[in-house]
Amino acid sequence: MKGYKLFLLALSALVSGHQFLCAQTPSISVTGEVARPLSLTPDIWAELPREQAELKDRNGESRLFSGVPIQVVLERAGVTTGDQLRGGNLTKYVLVKCADGYEVLFSLAELDSSFTDRRVILADSLASEPLPLSMGPYRLVVPGEKKPARSAYQVTEISVKHAATD
Amino acid sequence: MLVVIALLSLVLLCFASWHPEGQVLPTPLAIDYPSYFGHRISRPPANPTTVEGVRLGRMLFYEPALSASGKVSCASCHKQQFAFADDRRFSAGVDGTLLSRNTMSLANLLWVRQFFWDGRTRGLEAQAKEPLTHPHEMGQALAISVRKLEQSELYPAYFRAAFGIDRIVGDHVLNALAQFQRTLVSAGSLYDHYLRGGYVPSDSENRGMALFFNAPGGQPRGAGCAHCHGGPQTYQELFHNNGLDAFPPDSGRKAVTGQEYDNGRFRVTTLRNIALTAPYMHDGRFQTLKEVVDHYSEGVANSQTLSPFLKDRDGKPTRLRLSSQEKIDLLAFLQLLTDSTFITDERHSNPFKN
Repeated sequence: MKGYKLFLLALSALVSGHQFLCAQTPSISVTGEVARPLSLTPDIWAELPREQAELKDRNGESRLFSGVPIQVVLERAGVTTGDQLRGGNLTKYVLVKCADGYEVLFSLAELDSSFTDRRVILADSLASEPLPLSMGPYRLVVPGEKKPARSAYQVTEISVKHAATD
Repeated sequence: MLVVIALLSLVLLCFASWHPEGQVLPTPLAIDYPSYFGHRISRPPANPTTVEGVRLGRMLFYEPALSASGKVSCASCHKQQFAFADDRRFSAGVDGTLLSRNTMSLANLLWVRQFFWDGRTRGLEAQAKEPLTHPHEMGQALAISVRKLEQSELYPAYFRAAFGIDRIVGDHVLNALAQFQRTLVSAGSLYDHYLRGGYVPSDSENRGMALFFNAPGGQPRGAGCAHCHGGPQTYQELFHNNGLDAFPPDSGRKAVTGQEYDNGRFRVTTLRNIALTAPYMHDGRFQTLKEVVDHYSEGVANSQTLSPFLKDRDGKPTRLRLSSQEKIDLLAFLQLLTDSTFITDERHSNPFKN
Protein backbone atom coordinates (compact mmCIF):
# COMPACT_ATOMS: atom_id res chain seq x y z
CA MET A 1 0.00 0.00 0.00
CA LYS A 2 2.86 2.32 0.90
CA GLY A 3 4.53 1.54 -2.43
CA TYR A 4 1.28 2.26 -4.23
CA LYS A 5 1.06 5.68 -2.54
CA LEU A 6 4.64 6.44 -3.47
CA PHE A 7 3.89 5.48 -7.06
CA LEU A 8 0.91 7.85 -7.07
CA LEU A 9 3.03 10.64 -5.62
CA ALA A 10 5.70 10.09 -8.27
CA LEU A 11 3.05 10.03 -10.98
CA SER A 12 1.53 13.23 -9.65
CA ALA A 13 4.95 14.93 -9.62
CA LEU A 14 5.56 13.76 -13.17
CA VAL A 15 2.21 15.15 -14.31
CA SER A 16 2.87 18.50 -12.58
CA GLY A 17 6.30 18.66 -14.18
CA HIS A 18 4.78 17.84 -17.54
CA GLN A 19 2.29 20.70 -17.16
CA PHE A 20 5.17 23.00 -16.31
CA LEU A 21 7.11 21.88 -19.37
CA CYS A 22 4.05 22.35 -21.56
CA ALA A 23 4.21 26.16 -21.32
CA GLN A 24 3.44 27.29 -24.85
CA THR A 25 5.51 29.67 -26.94
CA PRO A 26 3.23 32.57 -27.81
CA SER A 27 2.46 32.95 -31.49
CA ILE A 28 -0.04 34.67 -33.76
CA SER A 29 -2.20 32.69 -36.14
CA VAL A 30 -3.45 34.20 -39.39
CA THR A 31 -6.63 32.51 -40.54
CA GLY A 32 -9.72 32.87 -42.69
CA GLU A 33 -9.67 34.38 -46.19
CA VAL A 34 -5.98 33.66 -46.66
CA ALA A 35 -4.14 31.73 -49.33
CA ARG A 36 -1.67 30.38 -46.77
CA PRO A 37 -2.79 30.06 -43.15
CA LEU A 38 0.10 31.11 -40.96
CA SER A 39 1.34 30.54 -37.47
CA LEU A 40 3.74 33.37 -36.74
CA THR A 41 6.29 31.55 -34.63
CA PRO A 42 9.37 33.42 -33.38
CA ASP A 43 11.42 31.91 -36.25
CA ILE A 44 9.14 33.29 -38.94
CA TRP A 45 8.72 36.55 -37.04
CA ALA A 46 12.49 37.10 -37.04
CA GLU A 47 12.56 36.99 -40.87
CA LEU A 48 10.03 39.77 -41.35
CA PRO A 49 10.91 43.42 -42.07
CA ARG A 50 10.47 45.81 -39.17
CA GLU A 51 9.18 49.35 -38.73
CA GLN A 52 8.55 51.77 -35.92
CA ALA A 53 5.31 53.47 -34.94
CA GLU A 54 4.35 56.04 -32.33
CA LEU A 55 1.50 55.86 -29.90
CA LYS A 56 0.49 58.13 -27.04
CA ASP A 57 0.15 56.42 -23.68
CA ARG A 58 -2.45 57.21 -21.01
CA ASN A 59 -0.34 60.12 -19.80
CA GLY A 60 -0.38 61.64 -23.30
CA GLU A 61 3.32 60.95 -23.87
CA SER A 62 4.47 59.57 -27.23
CA ARG A 63 6.08 56.14 -27.04
CA LEU A 64 8.05 54.54 -29.85
CA PHE A 65 7.17 50.94 -30.56
CA SER A 66 8.77 48.67 -33.11
CA GLY A 67 7.58 45.53 -34.83
CA VAL A 68 6.27 44.19 -38.11
CA PRO A 69 3.74 46.07 -40.29
CA ILE A 70 0.47 44.16 -40.27
CA GLN A 71 0.34 44.48 -44.05
CA VAL A 72 3.55 42.44 -44.29
CA VAL A 73 1.90 39.72 -42.21
CA LEU A 74 -1.23 39.80 -44.37
CA GLU A 75 0.84 39.58 -47.56
CA ARG A 76 2.80 36.66 -46.16
CA ALA A 77 -0.51 34.84 -45.60
CA GLY A 78 -1.65 35.61 -49.15
CA VAL A 79 -4.42 38.03 -48.24
CA THR A 80 -5.76 40.21 -51.07
CA THR A 81 -3.75 43.40 -50.59
CA GLY A 82 -2.47 46.16 -52.90
CA ASP A 83 -3.68 45.76 -56.51
CA GLN A 84 -5.95 42.88 -55.50
CA LEU A 85 -7.80 44.99 -52.98
CA ARG A 86 -10.73 46.11 -55.13
CA GLY A 87 -14.27 45.08 -56.04
CA GLY A 88 -15.63 42.36 -53.77
CA ASN A 89 -12.37 42.21 -51.83
CA LEU A 90 -13.26 45.60 -50.38
CA THR A 91 -15.94 43.87 -48.30
CA LYS A 92 -13.29 41.94 -46.41
CA TYR A 93 -12.33 42.78 -42.86
CA VAL A 94 -9.74 41.80 -40.30
CA LEU A 95 -10.77 40.67 -36.83
CA VAL A 96 -7.85 40.89 -34.43
CA LYS A 97 -8.24 38.63 -31.40
CA CYS A 98 -6.36 38.97 -28.14
CA ALA A 99 -5.44 36.63 -25.30
CA ASP A 100 -7.96 38.19 -22.90
CA GLY A 101 -10.81 37.73 -25.37
CA TYR A 102 -10.76 41.34 -26.58
CA GLU A 103 -11.42 41.79 -30.29
CA VAL A 104 -11.07 44.73 -32.66
CA LEU A 105 -12.00 45.06 -36.29
CA PHE A 106 -10.52 46.83 -39.32
CA SER A 107 -11.64 46.87 -42.90
CA LEU A 108 -8.86 45.45 -45.04
CA ALA A 109 -8.50 48.78 -46.81
CA GLU A 110 -7.72 50.53 -43.51
CA LEU A 111 -4.55 48.49 -43.24
CA ASP A 112 -3.38 48.69 -46.83
CA SER A 113 -0.67 51.07 -48.04
CA SER A 114 -2.43 51.51 -51.39
CA PHE A 115 -5.27 53.19 -49.47
CA THR A 116 -3.58 54.90 -46.55
CA ASP A 117 -0.20 56.17 -45.43
CA ARG A 118 -0.90 55.09 -41.87
CA ARG A 119 1.19 52.06 -40.98
CA VAL A 120 -0.33 49.80 -38.37
CA ILE A 121 2.27 47.55 -36.82
CA LEU A 122 2.30 44.44 -34.68
CA ALA A 123 4.78 45.60 -32.09
CA ASP A 124 7.01 43.37 -29.99
CA SER A 125 9.14 46.05 -28.36
CA LEU A 126 8.90 49.41 -26.69
CA ALA A 127 11.97 51.64 -26.58
CA SER A 128 14.05 48.66 -27.71
CA GLU A 129 12.86 46.49 -24.82
CA PRO A 130 10.49 43.52 -25.16
CA LEU A 131 6.92 44.44 -24.27
CA PRO A 132 5.91 43.81 -20.64
CA LEU A 133 3.94 40.61 -19.94
CA SER A 134 0.68 42.55 -19.52
CA MET A 135 0.95 43.94 -23.07
CA GLY A 136 2.96 41.50 -25.06
CA PRO A 137 4.55 39.63 -26.53
CA TYR A 138 2.71 41.21 -29.48
CA ARG A 139 0.41 44.20 -29.52
CA LEU A 140 -1.17 46.35 -32.19
CA VAL A 141 -0.01 49.92 -32.57
CA VAL A 142 -2.52 51.98 -34.53
CA PRO A 143 -1.10 55.48 -34.92
CA GLY A 144 -3.23 58.57 -35.34
CA GLU A 145 -6.42 57.50 -33.56
CA LYS A 146 -8.03 59.64 -30.87
CA LYS A 147 -8.56 56.61 -28.64
CA PRO A 148 -6.07 53.78 -28.18
CA ALA A 149 -8.88 51.21 -28.04
CA ARG A 150 -7.80 49.44 -31.24
CA SER A 151 -4.15 49.32 -30.22
CA ALA A 152 -4.93 46.00 -28.60
CA TYR A 153 -2.64 44.05 -26.27
CA GLN A 154 -1.53 40.42 -26.52
CA VAL A 155 -2.63 39.70 -30.06
CA THR A 156 -3.07 35.97 -30.69
CA GLU A 157 -5.03 35.73 -33.92
CA ILE A 158 -5.64 37.71 -37.08
CA SER A 159 -8.76 36.45 -38.78
CA VAL A 160 -9.59 37.71 -42.29
CA LYS A 161 -13.26 37.45 -43.19
CA HIS A 162 -15.75 38.45 -45.83
CA ALA A 163 -18.73 40.53 -44.72
CA ALA A 164 -21.74 38.25 -44.49
CA THR A 165 -24.31 38.31 -47.25
CA ASP A 166 -27.83 39.37 -46.29
CA MET B 1 -49.52 5.52 -17.07
CA LEU B 2 -50.22 4.47 -20.66
CA VAL B 3 -52.93 7.10 -20.85
CA VAL B 4 -50.49 9.76 -19.63
CA ILE B 5 -47.91 8.74 -22.23
CA ALA B 6 -50.55 8.75 -24.96
CA LEU B 7 -51.67 12.24 -23.93
CA LEU B 8 -48.09 13.48 -23.82
CA SER B 9 -47.46 12.10 -27.29
CA LEU B 10 -50.58 13.87 -28.53
CA VAL B 11 -49.37 17.15 -27.03
CA LEU B 12 -45.97 16.68 -28.63
CA LEU B 13 -47.55 16.06 -32.01
CA CYS B 14 -49.57 19.24 -31.69
CA PHE B 15 -46.36 21.25 -31.49
CA ALA B 16 -44.59 19.51 -34.32
CA SER B 17 -45.19 19.76 -38.04
CA TRP B 18 -45.40 17.09 -40.71
CA HIS B 19 -42.67 16.81 -43.28
CA PRO B 20 -43.93 16.11 -46.83
CA GLU B 21 -42.48 12.62 -46.62
CA GLY B 22 -44.39 11.91 -43.44
CA GLN B 23 -41.66 12.58 -40.90
CA VAL B 24 -42.60 14.86 -38.04
CA LEU B 25 -40.27 17.86 -37.85
CA PRO B 26 -39.64 19.84 -34.67
CA THR B 27 -40.98 23.38 -34.55
CA PRO B 28 -38.36 26.15 -34.83
CA LEU B 29 -38.28 28.37 -31.74
CA ALA B 30 -37.37 32.04 -31.97
CA ILE B 31 -35.64 33.14 -28.79
CA ASP B 32 -36.96 36.49 -27.65
CA TYR B 33 -34.40 39.07 -26.55
CA PRO B 34 -34.08 42.85 -26.68
CA SER B 35 -32.32 44.33 -29.71
CA TYR B 36 -29.97 46.25 -27.40
CA PHE B 37 -28.35 42.91 -26.51
CA GLY B 38 -27.09 42.74 -30.09
CA HIS B 39 -27.33 39.81 -32.44
CA ARG B 40 -23.85 38.35 -32.11
CA ILE B 41 -25.25 35.12 -30.76
CA SER B 42 -24.05 31.52 -30.88
CA ARG B 43 -26.55 29.06 -32.30
CA PRO B 44 -24.82 26.27 -34.21
CA PRO B 45 -26.69 25.35 -37.43
CA ALA B 46 -26.30 21.67 -36.50
CA ASN B 47 -28.44 22.19 -33.40
CA PRO B 48 -31.27 24.60 -34.20
CA THR B 49 -33.40 25.66 -31.26
CA THR B 50 -36.84 24.07 -31.39
CA VAL B 51 -39.90 23.95 -29.16
CA GLU B 52 -39.47 20.19 -28.70
CA GLY B 53 -35.72 20.37 -28.14
CA VAL B 54 -36.03 23.08 -25.49
CA ARG B 55 -38.82 21.19 -23.72
CA LEU B 56 -36.69 18.06 -23.62
CA GLY B 57 -33.65 20.05 -22.52
CA ARG B 58 -35.63 21.53 -19.65
CA MET B 59 -36.63 18.04 -18.50
CA LEU B 60 -33.03 16.81 -18.73
CA PHE B 61 -31.78 19.87 -16.83
CA TYR B 62 -33.91 18.79 -13.87
CA GLU B 63 -33.37 15.04 -14.35
CA PRO B 64 -31.41 13.36 -11.50
CA ALA B 65 -31.22 10.08 -13.45
CA LEU B 66 -28.38 11.71 -15.41
CA SER B 67 -26.17 11.37 -12.32
CA ALA B 68 -24.43 8.30 -10.96
CA SER B 69 -26.28 8.58 -7.64
CA GLY B 70 -29.63 9.29 -9.25
CA LYS B 71 -29.93 12.28 -6.92
CA VAL B 72 -28.08 15.13 -8.63
CA SER B 73 -29.31 17.12 -11.61
CA CYS B 74 -27.92 20.24 -13.31
CA ALA B 75 -30.45 22.16 -11.23
CA SER B 76 -28.98 20.85 -7.96
CA CYS B 77 -26.19 23.42 -8.31
CA HIS B 78 -27.73 25.81 -10.87
CA LYS B 79 -30.76 26.91 -8.85
CA GLN B 80 -33.34 29.08 -10.53
CA GLN B 81 -33.99 31.19 -7.43
CA PHE B 82 -30.32 32.25 -7.55
CA ALA B 83 -30.36 32.97 -11.29
CA PHE B 84 -29.14 29.41 -11.86
CA ALA B 85 -26.09 29.86 -9.62
CA ASP B 86 -25.47 28.14 -6.28
CA ASP B 87 -25.66 29.93 -2.94
CA ARG B 88 -22.80 27.78 -1.63
CA ARG B 89 -19.17 28.79 -2.05
CA PHE B 90 -18.39 25.44 -3.69
CA SER B 91 -21.03 23.01 -4.90
CA ALA B 92 -20.83 19.30 -4.11
CA GLY B 93 -21.67 16.63 -6.64
CA VAL B 94 -22.44 12.90 -6.46
CA ASP B 95 -19.46 11.93 -4.30
CA GLY B 96 -19.74 14.88 -1.92
CA THR B 97 -16.41 16.36 -3.00
CA LEU B 98 -16.50 20.13 -3.16
CA LEU B 99 -15.71 21.60 -6.57
CA SER B 100 -12.70 23.86 -6.87
CA ARG B 101 -14.55 26.85 -8.31
CA ASN B 102 -17.82 28.63 -7.61
CA THR B 103 -20.84 27.57 -9.68
CA MET B 104 -21.57 30.11 -12.39
CA SER B 105 -24.94 31.71 -13.07
CA LEU B 106 -26.66 30.62 -16.28
CA ALA B 107 -28.10 33.71 -17.89
CA ASN B 108 -27.79 35.10 -21.39
CA LEU B 109 -25.55 32.24 -22.52
CA LEU B 110 -26.68 32.85 -26.09
CA TRP B 111 -23.95 35.51 -26.22
CA VAL B 112 -21.22 33.40 -24.62
CA ARG B 113 -18.77 31.50 -26.82
CA GLN B 114 -16.24 30.06 -24.36
CA PHE B 115 -17.52 28.42 -21.20
CA PHE B 116 -16.40 27.88 -17.61
CA TRP B 117 -14.38 30.29 -15.49
CA ASP B 118 -11.35 29.65 -17.70
CA GLY B 119 -13.16 29.51 -21.05
CA ARG B 120 -11.83 26.04 -21.75
CA THR B 121 -14.82 24.85 -23.77
CA ARG B 122 -16.37 26.30 -26.89
CA GLY B 123 -20.13 26.04 -27.27
CA LEU B 124 -22.89 24.95 -24.92
CA GLU B 125 -23.09 21.49 -26.46
CA ALA B 126 -19.48 20.70 -25.54
CA GLN B 127 -19.86 22.43 -22.18
CA ALA B 128 -22.77 20.22 -21.13
CA LYS B 129 -20.67 17.06 -21.31
CA GLU B 130 -18.27 18.05 -18.55
CA PRO B 131 -20.59 18.40 -15.53
CA LEU B 132 -22.57 15.33 -16.64
CA THR B 133 -19.51 13.10 -16.65
CA HIS B 134 -17.10 14.71 -14.18
CA PRO B 135 -16.61 12.33 -11.22
CA HIS B 136 -17.15 15.13 -8.68
CA GLU B 137 -20.21 16.55 -10.42
CA MET B 138 -22.84 14.20 -11.87
CA GLY B 139 -20.32 11.42 -12.41
CA GLN B 140 -22.05 9.33 -15.04
CA ALA B 141 -20.82 8.35 -18.51
CA LEU B 142 -23.04 9.63 -21.28
CA ALA B 143 -23.57 6.08 -22.53
CA ILE B 144 -25.09 5.10 -19.18
CA SER B 145 -27.32 8.19 -19.16
CA VAL B 146 -28.47 7.32 -22.66
CA ARG B 147 -29.29 3.75 -21.61
CA LYS B 148 -31.32 5.01 -18.63
CA LEU B 149 -33.22 7.44 -20.84
CA GLU B 150 -33.92 4.80 -23.49
CA GLN B 151 -35.24 2.44 -20.84
CA SER B 152 -37.53 5.04 -19.31
CA GLU B 153 -41.20 5.15 -20.28
CA LEU B 154 -41.13 8.91 -20.54
CA TYR B 155 -38.16 10.01 -22.61
CA PRO B 156 -38.04 8.13 -25.96
CA ALA B 157 -41.13 9.97 -27.28
CA TYR B 158 -39.65 13.33 -26.31
CA PHE B 159 -36.35 12.54 -28.05
CA ARG B 160 -38.28 11.39 -31.13
CA ALA B 161 -40.23 14.63 -31.18
CA ALA B 162 -37.12 16.78 -30.64
CA PHE B 163 -34.74 15.07 -33.03
CA GLY B 164 -36.82 12.72 -35.16
CA ILE B 165 -34.80 9.72 -34.01
CA ASP B 166 -35.63 6.28 -32.70
CA ARG B 167 -32.29 5.69 -31.02
CA ILE B 168 -30.90 8.18 -28.51
CA VAL B 169 -27.18 8.98 -28.58
CA GLY B 170 -25.16 11.17 -26.23
CA ASP B 171 -25.13 14.15 -28.57
CA HIS B 172 -28.91 14.36 -28.42
CA VAL B 173 -28.69 14.78 -24.64
CA LEU B 174 -26.07 17.52 -25.00
CA ASN B 175 -27.97 19.22 -27.81
CA ALA B 176 -31.22 19.33 -25.87
CA LEU B 177 -29.50 20.73 -22.77
CA ALA B 178 -27.80 23.37 -24.92
CA GLN B 179 -31.08 24.35 -26.54
CA PHE B 180 -32.76 24.82 -23.18
CA GLN B 181 -29.90 26.86 -21.79
CA ARG B 182 -29.97 29.15 -24.82
CA THR B 183 -33.48 30.17 -23.82
CA LEU B 184 -32.32 31.39 -20.38
CA VAL B 185 -32.51 35.04 -21.35
CA SER B 186 -32.62 37.53 -18.52
CA ALA B 187 -33.89 40.90 -19.75
CA GLY B 188 -36.66 41.80 -17.35
CA SER B 189 -34.82 43.78 -14.68
CA LEU B 190 -35.58 47.34 -13.63
CA TYR B 191 -32.50 48.32 -15.61
CA ASP B 192 -34.17 46.86 -18.71
CA HIS B 193 -37.32 48.86 -17.92
CA TYR B 194 -35.08 51.93 -17.66
CA LEU B 195 -33.46 51.12 -21.03
CA ARG B 196 -36.92 50.84 -22.56
CA GLY B 197 -37.97 54.14 -21.05
CA GLY B 198 -40.34 52.67 -18.48
CA TYR B 199 -38.47 53.24 -15.23
CA VAL B 200 -37.01 56.38 -13.70
CA PRO B 201 -34.02 55.52 -11.47
CA SER B 202 -33.71 57.14 -8.05
CA ASP B 203 -30.99 59.73 -7.47
CA SER B 204 -28.79 57.12 -5.82
CA GLU B 205 -29.32 54.63 -8.67
CA ASN B 206 -28.51 57.34 -11.22
CA ARG B 207 -25.30 58.25 -9.41
CA GLY B 208 -24.43 54.55 -9.21
CA MET B 209 -25.04 54.16 -12.93
CA ALA B 210 -22.72 57.07 -13.67
CA LEU B 211 -20.05 55.55 -11.42
CA PHE B 212 -20.48 52.22 -13.17
CA PHE B 213 -20.17 53.52 -16.71
CA ASN B 214 -17.73 56.41 -16.33
CA ALA B 215 -13.96 56.04 -16.32
CA PRO B 216 -11.99 56.80 -13.13
CA GLY B 217 -10.46 59.86 -14.76
CA GLY B 218 -13.73 61.06 -16.29
CA GLN B 219 -16.17 63.80 -15.37
CA PRO B 220 -18.08 63.01 -13.24
CA ARG B 221 -15.61 60.53 -11.93
CA GLY B 222 -16.40 56.88 -12.40
CA ALA B 223 -15.33 53.52 -11.09
CA GLY B 224 -14.66 52.19 -14.59
CA CYS B 225 -16.72 49.01 -14.10
CA ALA B 226 -18.12 49.18 -17.62
CA HIS B 227 -14.67 48.90 -19.14
CA CYS B 228 -15.03 45.15 -18.66
CA HIS B 229 -18.69 44.73 -17.65
CA GLY B 230 -19.87 47.13 -20.34
CA GLY B 231 -22.97 47.40 -22.46
CA PRO B 232 -26.61 46.70 -21.64
CA GLN B 233 -25.79 43.04 -21.01
CA THR B 234 -23.14 44.04 -18.46
CA TYR B 235 -21.06 41.35 -20.14
CA GLN B 236 -18.19 41.07 -22.56
CA GLU B 237 -16.34 37.88 -23.30
CA LEU B 238 -13.11 38.77 -21.53
CA PHE B 239 -10.67 37.03 -19.21
CA HIS B 240 -8.79 39.15 -16.71
CA ASN B 241 -6.77 38.93 -13.54
CA ASN B 242 -8.81 41.18 -11.30
CA GLY B 243 -6.26 41.48 -8.54
CA LEU B 244 -7.56 39.00 -5.99
CA ASP B 245 -4.08 37.70 -5.11
CA ALA B 246 -0.50 38.77 -5.57
CA PHE B 247 0.32 35.11 -6.22
CA PRO B 248 -2.80 33.48 -7.67
CA PRO B 249 -3.25 30.03 -6.09
CA ASP B 250 -5.43 29.00 -9.03
CA SER B 251 -3.71 29.65 -12.36
CA GLY B 252 -7.07 30.03 -14.14
CA ARG B 253 -6.82 30.40 -17.88
CA LYS B 254 -3.10 29.63 -17.88
CA ALA B 255 -3.95 25.96 -17.31
CA VAL B 256 -5.87 26.05 -20.60
CA THR B 257 -3.50 28.03 -22.81
CA GLY B 258 -0.13 27.30 -21.24
CA GLN B 259 0.68 31.00 -21.48
CA GLU B 260 2.28 32.81 -18.57
CA TYR B 261 0.31 35.95 -19.37
CA ASP B 262 -2.90 34.04 -18.57
CA ASN B 263 -1.85 33.26 -15.00
CA GLY B 264 -4.70 34.10 -12.62
CA ARG B 265 -7.03 35.15 -15.40
CA PHE B 266 -10.70 34.27 -15.14
CA ARG B 267 -13.88 35.08 -16.99
CA VAL B 268 -15.37 38.53 -16.55
CA THR B 269 -18.88 37.51 -15.56
CA THR B 270 -22.19 39.05 -16.43
CA LEU B 271 -23.51 41.29 -13.67
CA ARG B 272 -27.09 40.45 -14.55
CA ASN B 273 -28.78 39.21 -11.34
CA ILE B 274 -25.54 39.78 -9.46
CA ALA B 275 -27.40 40.50 -6.21
CA LEU B 276 -28.76 36.93 -6.37
CA THR B 277 -25.56 35.06 -7.10
CA ALA B 278 -23.47 35.36 -3.93
CA PRO B 279 -20.87 34.30 -3.04
CA TYR B 280 -18.65 36.06 -5.55
CA MET B 281 -15.49 35.49 -7.62
CA HIS B 282 -14.22 32.21 -9.05
CA ASP B 283 -13.47 30.96 -5.56
CA GLY B 284 -16.52 32.44 -3.88
CA ARG B 285 -14.33 34.37 -1.43
CA PHE B 286 -16.66 37.35 -1.07
CA GLN B 287 -19.97 36.82 0.67
CA THR B 288 -21.52 40.17 -0.22
CA LEU B 289 -21.54 42.67 -3.06
CA LYS B 290 -20.25 45.23 -0.57
CA GLU B 291 -17.09 43.15 -0.18
CA VAL B 292 -16.74 43.03 -3.97
CA VAL B 293 -17.04 46.80 -4.25
CA ASP B 294 -14.54 47.20 -1.39
CA HIS B 295 -12.12 44.97 -3.29
CA TYR B 296 -12.24 47.09 -6.44
CA SER B 297 -12.15 50.28 -4.40
CA GLU B 298 -9.12 49.58 -2.24
CA GLY B 299 -8.21 45.88 -2.30
CA VAL B 300 -6.74 45.13 -5.73
CA ALA B 301 -3.48 43.19 -5.38
CA ASN B 302 -0.62 43.72 -7.80
CA SER B 303 0.88 40.89 -9.77
CA GLN B 304 2.64 40.33 -13.06
CA THR B 305 -0.61 39.58 -14.83
CA LEU B 306 -2.93 42.07 -13.12
CA SER B 307 -5.29 43.53 -15.71
CA PRO B 308 -3.82 46.77 -17.09
CA PHE B 309 -7.29 48.24 -16.63
CA LEU B 310 -6.92 47.85 -12.87
CA LYS B 311 -3.63 49.75 -12.79
CA ASP B 312 -3.09 53.44 -12.47
CA ARG B 313 -0.82 55.51 -14.69
CA ASP B 314 2.19 54.56 -12.61
CA GLY B 315 1.52 50.87 -13.05
CA LYS B 316 0.28 50.43 -9.47
CA PRO B 317 -3.03 48.78 -8.58
CA THR B 318 -5.91 51.22 -8.90
CA ARG B 319 -7.12 52.68 -5.60
CA LEU B 320 -10.51 54.17 -6.37
CA ARG B 321 -11.12 54.97 -2.70
CA LEU B 322 -14.85 55.28 -3.23
CA SER B 323 -16.67 57.17 -0.50
CA SER B 324 -19.31 55.40 1.60
CA GLN B 325 -22.01 57.19 -0.38
CA GLU B 326 -20.43 56.20 -3.70
CA LYS B 327 -20.40 52.58 -2.61
CA ILE B 328 -24.05 52.80 -1.59
CA ASP B 329 -24.87 54.33 -4.98
CA LEU B 330 -22.96 51.67 -6.90
CA LEU B 331 -24.70 48.92 -4.96
CA ALA B 332 -28.05 50.58 -5.66
CA PHE B 333 -27.34 50.41 -9.38
CA LEU B 334 -26.26 46.75 -9.17
CA GLN B 335 -29.59 45.94 -7.50
CA LEU B 336 -31.31 47.27 -10.63
CA LEU B 337 -29.85 44.31 -12.53
CA THR B 338 -31.98 41.79 -10.63
CA ASP B 339 -34.59 40.17 -12.86
CA SER B 340 -37.35 38.84 -10.66
CA THR B 341 -39.23 37.48 -13.68
CA PHE B 342 -36.24 35.35 -14.69
CA ILE B 343 -36.12 33.50 -11.38
CA THR B 344 -39.82 32.77 -11.41
CA ASP B 345 -40.30 32.12 -15.13
CA GLU B 346 -42.19 28.82 -15.41
CA ARG B 347 -40.59 28.13 -18.79
CA HIS B 348 -37.32 27.64 -16.94
CA SER B 349 -38.64 25.92 -13.84
CA ASN B 350 -38.68 22.25 -12.83
CA PRO B 351 -41.21 20.62 -15.19
CA PHE B 352 -41.67 17.69 -12.82
CA LYS B 353 -43.07 19.96 -10.12
CA ASN B 354 -45.68 21.77 -12.23
